[in-house]
Amino acid sequence: MSSKLASIPDEVYLLCILHNVGATEPERALTLEEIARWTAMNPSKAEQNLNKLIENKYVEIKENFGVKKYFITIDGIRKVLSMYS
Amino acid sequence: MNCSKFLRKALWCRVERVMNICMLTWEYPPRIVGGIARHCFGLAKALAKMGHSVYVVTLDFPGASYYEDSEGVKIYRAKIELGHPNFIVWTLLFNHFMEKRIAMLSKDAKFDIIHAHDWLVAPASIASKHYLKVPLISTMHSTEVGRSHGLHNPDSYLIDGIEWWLTYESKRIIVTSNAMKNEVEEHFRLPSWKIDVIPNAIDASKYNITVDRSIVKRRFGIDSSERIVLFIGRLVPQKGVEYLIMAAPKIFGQHPEARIVIVGDGWSKDHLWNLASSIGCQHKIIFLGFISDQDLIELTLSSDVLVVPSVYEPFGIVALEGMAAGVPVVASNTGGLAEIIEHDRTGFLAYKENPDSIAWGVNKVLSDSGYASWLVQNAKRKINEVYSWDAVARKTIETYEKALRE
Repeated sequence: MSSKLASIPDEVYLLCILHNVGATEPERALTLEEIARWTAMNPSKAEQNLNKLIENKYVEIKENFGVKKYFITIDGIRKVLSMYS
Repeated sequence: MNCSKFLRKALWCRVERVMNICMLTWEYPPRIVGGIARHCFGLAKALAKMGHSVYVVTLDFPGASYYEDSEGVKIYRAKIELGHPNFIVWTLLFNHFMEKRIAMLSKDAKFDIIHAHDWLVAPASIASKHYLKVPLISTMHSTEVGRSHGLHNPDSYLIDGIEWWLTYESKRIIVTSNAMKNEVEEHFRLPSWKIDVIPNAIDASKYNITVDRSIVKRRFGIDSSERIVLFIGRLVPQKGVEYLIMAAPKIFGQHPEARIVIVGDGWSKDHLWNLASSIGCQHKIIFLGFISDQDLIELTLSSDVLVVPSVYEPFGIVALEGMAAGVPVVASNTGGLAEIIEHDRTGFLAYKENPDSIAWGVNKVLSDSGYASWLVQNAKRKINEVYSWDAVARKTIETYEKALRE
């Protein structure tokens, strides 16, 4: 599994982390800073990957009082689970 | 009453006994990842139909309720209250929450059997077996060594160890094909008598609908004159999609009206898309991603051939789906697929990891309508005779009974 994670694209790796830490619903969405911490990516790289995931409808944004938070969609969950099944 | 009559009657009474079955699975609809969700759904429903009480303990999913009674099956979804970036740690955490759910449930329901599906629920299943003191049955849908083509990293070794642990703790093990029985028996050094082969099944009645193929094709951006070469599955190396894509030039060379349609998603999607582009076929290959169950049924019914090019396939439920839908199937000659399909009778078996062989099979089906109809006719007959959920549920109950007797 770890070698698989090493060979997958960065944005899919980020998607896996979002899933595993539980950002699977709007109420459990995470900020960019939190995501950068969990994934050990610098915030600009994390944001770049998040944008790709949003474009592909694997991640959605929830905005609250001007703070953007990210969570993964049902398609995003299925994409992650396809790696593990 | 003589002795044999008495024994027969005693056995009959046991078979007729109503059981409380606790089934553990990490995927259950609407959380559908691969074949396990569909397998558990079909089996649980069929067991409930036989009069048994079936409790499915699974994981939460956005939009699904934490408790649901569906067609007699009681479904409990454990809330994953704590996560972790590491997959293995995440797995151990969700097992804790499943175990907690079972402990709460067991206050009211006295379970006779714990039935685990795959290593992902091993810790919760094993713990439940010990504190409830009931037999554990496990279905091994695949193995890490098979999925990953060997054990190449520490996580794989750990998963392999957990799989062994689950088989060791289980009173009996169910596998879905003889190929899988050999694999599990050899790899985990298990006694043959402990393993029962019970195939997968499908609900063939869902294909008893009429569709307007032109309308369905248009909905997916396909011209009504085009013929669909369909793939359904996760986009991961194990499924061998790249061999179908590599077969594309030979298919399109002979059948320019063909279009390859790929349903499903997975981590190797970008690689597959790049491969399609590199051989200049991207305009003839459609990646649909995930689609709804209803769309999938209609698309399957509108297809001309279903390709299952798997590299590793313990069973291959998707081949059954094609057979039930009346679509000729071209599949790799490997694992469970080689048992489901009789070459040139119920389908076409292509050499594994061989694009030329896949192209040969697809072209033969597309070129020869008599051959295609012959395959479909035989395949449908086999589906009705062998692969029904009622038959699978009856065999599963026999396994439970054996475990309770031993």
